[in-house]
Amino acid sequence: MTISRRKFLKAGLGVVSVSLGGPQFLALAARAANFDSRQVGKSKILVTIQLAGGNDGINTVVPYGIGQYYVARPQINIAAKEVLPMTGQIGLHPSMTGLHDLYKAGKVGIILGVGYPNPNRSHFRSIEIWQTAEPARIIETGWLGRYLDLAKGQSVEADYPLSAVNVDASLPKTLSATQVVVPSVANVYDFKFSTDQHYQQDRKYQLSVFNDAYSKFEENRPNIDLLKKVGLDSVEASDYLLKVVQNYKSDVQYPDNGFGKGMKFIAQMITAGVKSQIYNISLGGFDTHAGQKGAQANLLKQLSDGIAAFEKDLQAHHVDRDVMVMTFSEFGRRVAENGGRGTDHGTAEPMFIVGSGVRGGIYGDYPSLTNLDNGDLKFAIDFRTVYATLLDRWLGADSRQILGASYENIGFVQGV
Amino acid sequence: MSKGDCQETIPHLLRRAGFGSTPSELEYFQEKGYDKTLDELLHPDSVNNDALDKLIAAQNFDFTRIEDLKRWWLFRMCFTKRPLEEKLALFFHGHFATSNRKVNNAYAMYLQNLTFRKYGMGHFNDLLLCISKDPAMIVWLDNQQNRKGNPNENYAREIMELFSLGIGNYTEGDIKEAAKAFTGWQTKNSTFYFNASQHDHSDKTFLGNRGDLNGDDIVQIVAKQPAASKFIGRKLIAFFVTDNPDQDMVDHLAKVYLKEKGHIRAVLKALFKHPDFMSEKSFHAKIKSPAELVVGSIKTLQVQNLDGDLTASMSRMGQGLFEPPTVKGWDGGRAWISTNTMMERFNFATRITQQKFDAIEGYIKPGQLVAKQGLTDARGMVDYFVNLLLDGDMPASARDELVKYVSSDFGGKPIAAMPDDKLLDAKLRGLVHLIMTMPTYQLA
Repeated sequence: MTISRRKFLKAGLGVVSVSLGGPQFLALAARAANFDSRQVGKSKILVTIQLAGGNDGINTVVPYGIGQYYVARPQINIAAKEVLPMTGQIGLHPSMTGLHDLYKAGKVGIILGVGYPNPNRSHFRSIEIWQTAEPARIIETGWLGRYLDLAKGQSVEADYPLSAVNVDASLPKTLSATQVVVPSVANVYDFKFSTDQHYQQDRKYQLSVFNDAYSKFEENRPNIDLLKKVGLDSVEASDYLLKVVQNYKSDVQYPDNGFGKGMKFIAQMITAGVKSQIYNISLGGFDTHAGQKGAQANLLKQLSDGIAAFEKDLQAHHVDRDVMVMTFSEFGRRVAENGGRGTDHGTAEPMFIVGSGVRGGIYGDYPSLTNLDNGDLKFAIDFRTVYATLLDRWLGADSRQILGASYENIGFVQGV
Repeated sequence: MSKGDCQETIPHLLRRAGFGSTPSELEYFQEKGYDKTLDELLHPDSVNNDALDKLIAAQNFDFTRIEDLKRWWLFRMCFTKRPLEEKLALFFHGHFATSNRKVNNAYAMYLQNLTFRKYGMGHFNDLLLCISKDPAMIVWLDNQQNRKGNPNENYAREIMELFSLGIGNYTEGDIKEAAKAFTGWQTKNSTFYFNASQHDHSDKTFLGNRGDLNGDDIVQIVAKQPAASKFIGRKLIAFFVTDNPDQDMVDHLAKVYLKEKGHIRAVLKALFKHPDFMSEKSFHAKIKSPAELVVGSIKTLQVQNLDGDLTASMSRMGQGLFEPPTVKGWDGGRAWISTNTMMERFNFATRITQQKFDAIEGYIKPGQLVAKQGLTDARGMVDYFVNLLLDGDMPASARDELVKYVSSDFGGKPIAAMPDDKLLDAKLRGLVHLIMTMPTYQLA
């Protein structure tokens, strides 16, 4: 036991000793307790929410004051009287009351007409473009993966295994990096290394043999490095995250759905002092080619209620100024509805930025509903200007190193 | 690996063209040799599968229940005598990825799956046409709502982007025109239904062809494109051989595809006889899909009772049968691996090794296997299971840790004599569990 543990530590896997109840865990717990006084306003955490399938932005930020809207969408429009107004022209989908309240409190920035040149209408290519921030060619790393690569050893400790956490079962390309493997944890309660229940007394030794054998698994072949790293990280992170969740206290009620649970888990990690700078979560089902109205209303409610509970929870823990939330989708949808009370793949979309550090308001103009490109909205704001703003003004990085070019910043981050 | 070396090439072939093997299957095919084994795999109709049919009949599956359907397929994968038929069905399920989460009609999903078996080794255009008329697919990609004068482009886009040509080989205009050609292709009562009143008979221009094209025309046009030969060739290689297909091999398979008018059996034969498939760099070079991991474990350890836990476990590892994540199917390769899915793989190993599953002689009793082999020392036991489960692919220093594990008590203190039955049982179960968590157990 002692021998294996020393090897454990020698491999630089600090948090492992945490899971075994070592001193590091106490340090972390202490840090969590002192979180208010020590870190508020100093941590810069970004939560990205991927709306998978291509969210219809036109029925999300509804142009209820623009007559053409009702012409293009005779069957699936949102009636003006139901819209949650923001200006005389535009407002939010009626199921987004939580987000609307945050908007009124000045905590939501809405960026209109976001896209990129020569839009691609394939789900898979377009989400890859958003995830990698590279429309011109296919590349291996995501924009936040490249951020993590740069941050490694600087703002993030070199071997800290939770430099970012993906709260889904599989890793999106957004977090694909070359120096860092980002863990994915869909449900923390299932995320536990189990052993034979009949022989519980063997568990500790089995775990240490696992770690020793893994550490010695030197093979210079494809995939072995990845499997080794992920295998060790999984076991290392699991007990620790379970403790994080067990120590969390909150009165905030999250919606009882997968997205709500995921947002709660992110809040648990943030309030416990986990040092991840990036969290990613997705909400799927937005590919509404048919029967859009009910399906999208349900999804937008999940999104809005989940974000609202999350913000309330962060405020209760006095860490709301440390966190910014960003939503994105692979594309918006076509202006005109199709034959199945749905919409086909389109182009530009609105993005939401939420947090107490956000300078609330609406950025950009609503795209014209008549001056179209082949039936689709023309984008006005390149999505990389949004990324650049978050990198430069929120995460304190140099966006040119990550995006490969210089993009102007938008004013949605306070204090700059 | 060399072609003559059946010790390695046959298990490799069975892992890729099937889901691994039981010890007796391995013996059977090793006696046959590589070429005859491949020949048998490529001609599933010539192999008697009555035992499987009988086994399945005894389960009384209800094909309108998705849980039953999942178990039905798991039974087939585990106990078929025609492994490539099932493996190819899994390939096409990932290729024409349709999810019951939206279709919500298990019986239609069952019919689609039968199509993969019936047409999988035939001409690609025949399969593509069947799929274009497939009830589950019509619901999945909204062709039910694709009407004259009011087209829905979903199927038209994916048939080119994901099912035949790949991105960059058609225009947005081709999608709009193809959508018109598929108008009125609907489904009623889980069968195809041509709704003539909703079909658009106008002239369409599609990939250089002009006329009153219908869906059948679109299928025939796309299936004979050189882009299709490369796209299908590349996908088959990525599924069966390597995550990073070599352009020469893609070109070779594309040539066979065009020469044989899209005959998939011919393309598969060329694939499994290609030097790249046989080469050293292909051995244990692909990450097992959850289906390969689960079915392979069941076969190697000869588990007989398959319960719903197994298909649920596969879902948590990222491969829910009949529920691919998107129409793109499963990305495969390194994308199978995240901390989350890795933990599921570890916990699947626990599930299989602890005293829950029945094997031929009751539960899995690793102690009996060891006794049958006449093994009495820790190293011999470790070597036996490392060979059985990892094809011996484990560094000596890591293997030494397992020997230490088997020859220690619960607290990790070395023991000199043979442990008592209880301790030996615990250690052997723990040993199999640990081996199944090793990096190379994740490789096919």
